[in-house]
Amino acid sequence: MQIISAPKVYPVIVIGSGASGGMAAWNLTQQGIDVLLLDAGEKFDRAKYWTHVTPWEARERRARGEGPPAFYLDTKEQPYFTPPNRPFDLTRVWGHGGKTNVWGRVSLRLSDLDFRGPERDGWEIPWPIAYRDIAPYYDKVEQLIGVCGGDDDSDSLPGSKFLQPPPAPRCGEQLLKKAATSIGIPIVAGRRANMTRPTRGFPPCHYCGACGSGCDTASFFCSADHLLPFALSTGRLEIRSNAVAARILVDESGLANGVQYFDRRTGAERQVRGKVIVLGASTVDSTRILLNSKSRQHPNGIGNSSDVIGRYLCEQIRFHVRGFLPALVGTATRNDRGIGGEHIYMPRFNHRPGHTRPYLRGFGAQFWNTGASAGGAHAGSEQIPGFGAGLKREIKRRHPAWFEIHPYGEVLPYAHNRVTVGGNGADRYGVPFAKIDYRVGENELAMAQHMADTVEEIVKAAGGELVGYQRAALDHNGSAIHEHGTCRMGADPKRSALNAFNQMHDVKNLFVVDGSAFPTATEKNPTLTILALSWRATDYLVESIKRGDL
Amino acid sequence: MSPVNRRQALRTMAAGTASALWATHLTAFAQQVADHAHVTAASEGAAFVPKVLTPQQFRTVGVLVDLILPATETPGAKAVNVDRYIDVVLRTAPNVDRRRFLGGLTWLDTRSRALFGKSFVGATPAQQTDLLTRLSGTGGARPEAPAGVAFFEAIKGMTIAGYYTTEVGLRQELGDDGRLMLARFEGCTHPEHQ
Repeated sequence: MQIISAPKVYPVIVIGSGASGGMAAWNLTQQGIDVLLLDAGEKFDRAKYWTHVTPWEARERRARGEGPPAFYLDTKEQPYFTPPNRPFDLTRVWGHGGKTNVWGRVSLRLSDLDFRGPERDGWEIPWPIAYRDIAPYYDKVEQLIGVCGGDDDSDSLPGSKFLQPPPAPRCGEQLLKKAATSIGIPIVAGRRANMTRPTRGFPPCHYCGACGSGCDTASFFCSADHLLPFALSTGRLEIRSNAVAARILVDESGLANGVQYFDRRTGAERQVRGKVIVLGASTVDSTRILLNSKSRQHPNGIGNSSDVIGRYLCEQIRFHVRGFLPALVGTATRNDRGIGGEHIYMPRFNHRPGHTRPYLRGFGAQFWNTGASAGGAHAGSEQIPGFGAGLKREIKRRHPAWFEIHPYGEVLPYAHNRVTVGGNGADRYGVPFAKIDYRVGENELAMAQHMADTVEEIVKAAGGELVGYQRAALDHNGSAIHEHGTCRMGADPKRSALNAFNQMHDVKNLFVVDGSAFPTATEKNPTLTILALSWRATDYLVESIKRGDL
Repeated sequence: MSPVNRRQALRTMAAGTASALWATHLTAFAQQVADHAHVTAASEGAAFVPKVLTPQQFRTVGVLVDLILPATETPGAKAVNVDRYIDVVLRTAPNVDRRRFLGGLTWLDTRSRALFGKSFVGATPAQQTDLLTRLSGTGGARPEAPAGVAFFEAIKGMTIAGYYTTEVGLRQELGDDGRLMLARFEGCTHPEHQ
């Protein structure tokens, strides 16, 4: 007798395990749904992080042939293309947890200034949701992941009710805060996903400041530590590692019915079947997968009858300013490691009377590297003139006094800022590469001038001295690592790819839950909102399954 | 901030200075290598043999790093093997930067002979200091050739990157307490800054 076994059909396949995919897998399994999770990499071993390794110990270890986990995807393995003279820095982490292993942890709620921005100024499509729609999910996310911050809400930065206590500001931050506030520029406690209290069994931050190397105690939110283990403990999650998703497969009617992926170790092609697909591979990689999913039913890429997928790529402009505060020169060196990065934040204020200018949207600012560096002399030290004992003395005196200001401004969505596939060859699996064509426009350049004026005003008020200053010299496009917009949600299926619940207008059993769903970039760091939207989308998914709609 | 962000910030900020771009490249590279050196200078012990620099060039670098960061109440750069560190950095530096650095050493000797009739190592400490003062633009003398100035900026940046990532540089000289496990973070406790 011949036995023909049908392939297993998973109720839901999730692609990607970072903030968006990890949250989807966590929420679905908590609600009793079986999930197959595909991730392009493996689990990083927390025991092997180099968080408490001094620079000299690191040299010794390297000499012995050791190294920390290689978080960042090598572009030699997976190139992407840009037009000549228009670089775009794309940072990808392929591995469990994705970029949440090493993210900056800045956790800012969007406000109705952000959600209502397009409606107010008429630039591109409105968000299909408002703050009230997502606020309950922000509440839940903040309680789940542990976000510290202050009781200092405003119209641009609402919702502090579940925040854990913020770490005290460093001296330089304290001076900048007092100076900015004195001239009407708001500074609040930083809101960041570092736990300052024990949370769900995880110990609080121990202030080693080495968060960029991953956290060996899982004291800041990382999907691989805070979501995936809990999803696995339900018994409903299966994780397939080294599964590089290439295409969403469809049935005759054009609905999604599986995923084609390649085994990263062997290169072998695999296909898995699912009733619902949730895509959270990060903005550019998700877009690449969607555009490569061409079929008779979806000749322009799956779910792309509107031709918006790949367009409206929006990130943030930013530049970096450094200097020192004479009031702190020559003071005793303090341990300024803290929660790594800044303890204060400048929220958007350019919508307030007396601060408006004729450009659209807004900007905020971060202050990382303010205070005594724990990794060597501050990079500005090389710009102290001269050499010899005088140089050495001045490097020491300035060591506690350095500050940095890093303003971030929204880039409007433009149709010509695009991710495309095809025409640039294919990877080792035969899957066409992505090409990123991106530039900023007049609005951003006008905003950058306001950003520079603001920074200069704060520094002047603080009595600071700038070092190596080049006004409004923008960092590379892509360097903020906040890509959005290429598979945006909206009410109008002709101008958007997803509805208000991250569900494709064209393909009702396909959800896209990462930053590509945002219609605008805003000036804020997106991860908190990605977590909230993914939670909300998968609640809707579960309800749809229960109703029999999927 | 992630290491990638930090590198990007460094690169961008370095590009904003008046320095020759290659010098800032090499400095940024040295700062990366300070984090991620493939080979440690100190671990090679007393038998260290430079692999990029000739013995004469290595001696010159040794003199230069101690002129840039000399012994004071704390040891100088050569005592903590910053000369070796620079050879290590050069091993993996981009070819173009390595060539320019070595060209800079040649320039230095040529200029020293023109000014003092001796190679840089053979010149007196006062003469060496005089030439570096010209290169650093701090002495009010006529500016030196851009190739020389760029070389000085490169080796100064590498010396700073190497020295302050040693235990002597970070702990003894800069006063970092090295504590990595705190129960709470105090923040600023200066009464005058509250």
